[in-house]
Amino acid sequence: MLQRMELSGGKVVPNGDNGNIYVYVHPDEAERKYLVETLQLDEHTLASALDPDELARLEFEPDHAAVIFKRPRNYSKDDTFVFRVASVGLFLFTDRLVVVLSENITLFQGKQFTRITSLQEVALKIIFSSISHFVEHLRVISAVSDSLEEQINASMQNKYLLSLFSLEKSLVYYLNGINSNGKLIERFKNSAVKLKLTTESIEFIDDMIIENQQCYEQAATYSNILASMMDARVSIVSNNLNWLIKTLTIITIAIMLPSLVVSIFSMNVPFPGMKHPVTFWVILSMALVSIFSIRLVLRWKKW
Amino acid sequence: MVSRSVTRKVTVLNPAGLHARPSLTVAQTVRRSNSKVEIRTPEQTVDAADILQLLSLGVTQGTELDFSATGPDAEEVLDALAALFADRFGL
Repeated sequence: MLQRMELSGGKVVPNGDNGNIYVYVHPDEAERKYLVETLQLDEHTLASALDPDELARLEFEPDHAAVIFKRPRNYSKDDTFVFRVASVGLFLFTDRLVVVLSENITLFQGKQFTRITSLQEVALKIIFSSISHFVEHLRVISAVSDSLEEQINASMQNKYLLSLFSLEKSLVYYLNGINSNGKLIERFKNSAVKLKLTTESIEFIDDMIIENQQCYEQAATYSNILASMMDARVSIVSNNLNWLIKTLTIITIAIMLPSLVVSIFSMNVPFPGMKHPVTFWVILSMALVSIFSIRLVLRWKKW
Repeated sequence: MVSRSVTRKVTVLNPAGLHARPSLTVAQTVRRSNSKVEIRTPEQTVDAADILQLLSLGVTQGTELDFSATGPDAEEVLDALAALFADRFGL
């Protein structure tokens, strides 16, 4: 799917036919052919833009610069608390910018997409918005982690622990993605002359480096906390299970002893005093006494 | 304070539906209030303060959600939520 946009009044606005910003969302075979044959994009780099496992990088082709960077993938309920990353391709020509995405996302919204004067700035702001996207997803991961902790404290189910493992895995993906973006942004700064970046754009890149570093440190902190607390959470679940088994065992013993007393006197053989009118009440009393005995023993042993 | 019960229908306008970031905003808004808010879809009913339940909804663009709030500030929290959905969560 192709959307064409253009720069107008410092903003990126839709322009169906003449826009010089091409946004391809999951391009089909015909669109890929156009990108490779007409716009001369490298086939491998184009494939990288759609491959979530590719690392962020900057490559220079004869007539354009190819940028692959990482952004968080949209979360869906089927992901079961695994937050993944996706790749995005930016192909910066002198007169046009081609953006290749694997899924439909809102690209040009937010206060950062104002007062834009060049295609280079558009490219930088798209990368910057991915840093903001990572930061927002980290907040979501933190909130999910807090909720899972509350559930684990009161539950014995493995599913919450497994969800925490999924979050831990997500943070590893995010750390890799953010780190990879960091290397890309540095490369951007080093190639400022080749990319014809203005002084303002270079200052903006410095801000991006700081933002990305903070984002990386935040992800690393969450990852460390999650990893170090995991053993404690496993112990809590195990302890909850032990408490349940103990309670069930006490109930079993409390039922078993009076049953034993009654069973002994229920054997189909004669026993002394079986015809006596108070024998039934004596047996019942023995069963009751056995219950109180168990209670006393449990209290004495402080179980 | 008088506890009130209010309901409202809200349509999801975001192209990606009610995904991770909007879900967090909804949960935070509800947690800041003193009301209990539930979201009802044709398939399930969830507690709007619980992000785990919100993420399990899988609501897509165009879905109509039934909000019901009970509490002293039920009207206010539903107003705030409706404004968030109308503004597409600022995304």
